[in-house]
Amino acid sequence: MELETHALTKRYGSKTAVDRLSLVLSNGVYGLLGANGAGKSTLMRLLCGLQRPSTGQICLDGQDIASLGERYRGLLGYLPQNFAYYPDFTARDFLLYIAALKGIGTGRAGQRASELLEAVGLEKEGRRRIRNLSGGMKQRLGIAQAMLNEPRILILDEPTAGLDPKERVRFRNLISAFSRDRIVILSTHIVSDVENIAEEIIMLKSGQLLHFGRPREITAEIQGKVWECLVPAENAEWYRGILNVSNLRNLDGGLTALRVISEDRPMDKAQPVEPCLEDLYLYYFKGENEK
Amino acid sequence: MKTLLCFELRKILARRTALFSLAVLLLLSLALSLSTLQSMYAFDGQGREGSGLEAVKIDRELASRYGGVLTDESVSRMLENFRPQYDLHGMNAKYLYQNAVQSSVFARFADLDGNWNGLSVRDVFGAEEIKAGYVNGLLNTGSNLAKLFLALAFVLMFLLAPVFAGEYGGVDGIILSSRYGRTKCAAAKVLAALITVLLVWLLLSGLNLIFAFAVYGTEGLDCSILFAPVEFTEGFIPYNMRCGTLLGWQLLLGLSGALCAAGMALLFSSLCRSSLAAFAISAALYIMPVLLPVSEQSPLYRLLLLLPVYEAQYISLLSAPALNGGLPYALCAVSVSLPLALLLACFAHRIFSARQVS
Repeated sequence: MELETHALTKRYGSKTAVDRLSLVLSNGVYGLLGANGAGKSTLMRLLCGLQRPSTGQICLDGQDIASLGERYRGLLGYLPQNFAYYPDFTARDFLLYIAALKGIGTGRAGQRASELLEAVGLEKEGRRRIRNLSGGMKQRLGIAQAMLNEPRILILDEPTAGLDPKERVRFRNLISAFSRDRIVILSTHIVSDVENIAEEIIMLKSGQLLHFGRPREITAEIQGKVWECLVPAENAEWYRGILNVSNLRNLDGGLTALRVISEDRPMDKAQPVEPCLEDLYLYYFKGENEK
Repeated sequence: MKTLLCFELRKILARRTALFSLAVLLLLSLALSLSTLQSMYAFDGQGREGSGLEAVKIDRELASRYGGVLTDESVSRMLENFRPQYDLHGMNAKYLYQNAVQSSVFARFADLDGNWNGLSVRDVFGAEEIKAGYVNGLLNTGSNLAKLFLALAFVLMFLLAPVFAGEYGGVDGIILSSRYGRTKCAAAKVLAALITVLLVWLLLSGLNLIFAFAVYGTEGLDCSILFAPVEFTEGFIPYNMRCGTLLGWQLLLGLSGALCAAGMALLFSSLCRSSLAAFAISAALYIMPVLLPVSEQSPLYRLLLLLPVYEAQYISLLSAPALNGGLPYALCAVSVSLPLALLLACFAHRIFSARQVS
């Protein structure tokens, strides 16, 4: 199965949210990275057929998804970034409703609802009204609804938002087990989540494709630009102000280790270190969200 | 589809605000029925009088005594038996109320002092046969239903405003990306809305009719609405019709008006992001025709009568001159409202199905 975008563009008035994006996605987990407003959610909505492209095309195995209609939507599972629920429904009823929307028969729907409630750790909350669930529980319910129809294409917009570390681990395991022979696209601000799950990274900036590849491949670009420096603890804040610091760690003896992203050696005793995805993110997006 | 329909019905009817608004409507209905009954008074002219259920009993007994086809002889008998026993001090006997039969006969056949005004049954009603009987209770039920159908339209618009708009708060992405979100789900929503209209209308009409038949009896259904107490003579329907036929028309108009109001609510629900905005716009458009400065003589008025708010008010519509062939003009309103309701619902379906989620 191959999902392709051809020069995909989406404009809102004069603003271009997605700009001539061409991708080929086959089975695997794809992590979508980018600052706020980079076009991640718009791209996901376009892939779900929730918005029509201004220009360009999205094809599944060579066929335009617009012409596939129900057949394409039958393969989809989608978790939007900000979504609401029916507060008077129980968690289980919500899943049964979404199962009906997905065309799953009543018997199978009940079975899938039970399986997924257990998979996301909500087996005891199935009979509780959604209004009484916590934010994290609702998020897990959202993940469960997206997976109800065992979708061949699973699109998750910020799935780990509001999840505690334990639940994030559970989510990562769930997706890893689920992703075989499927296309899974997920976006998150928590770079470590993407790094741990995604086989390939799609990095967007201002709607344009910045990078597309395996984490190790794309971090190679900043090889030699990530440094570790030891500075006196009392000066750490000052350095943070003038350097692009991705991490700050206090050590014994009044020293602080700074992880700095810089084209040049930031100070004499700085040592080059292996770059990670978070470094790459900061390399491109430092200050983006403050704009 | 059946499962989706059940869920959509549940989404409409199981909300707390929906249940509250339905409860208010039913309480209003009960209050109107009881206050109407309580305000009834009857004096049989021979010392027996009562209010409420006792008044109904007296009226029904008198109606059975003087009922049947109205003749000059029966009119004369009624005038004689209910002649005022005291000086009216210049008050018009037409407005003197002893009981439903007396009021009906005095309103048309008595002069200022309560004597025969010289008019025959043929002079007043023409050649048509007028069947007299106890119609007071049923006509009052009709008056109450007119108020209730107006309230019903607003309640339905309130119930149905979130059908589509309620999804735009964040569930639309999930629905519209699902297999049947743009097809069966949208259709289930429209169907559930129409079923809701039918259910609430049935509940409201059914309760009122059961109350009316239990308290006022069913014998009035076959009687003419023209031989009714004074409160129904002015501004009421000026041609002969059975009380049962009138109630039938009123229920049909109430339903078609409610369906049309529902269609409006669905359309604006599909267009607006907020349920409240959808309700406010559809409610404003619904009530607007009665606020327009259009006189009853204006040709435009005949067109306005076709709108749902006048269907709920039934009297203006049924008072309009009949069509060629003697069919009531209200038939036009029904034949406009039902296709319009379906058209609006179809538009709502299309708008939701084609929606782009932002």
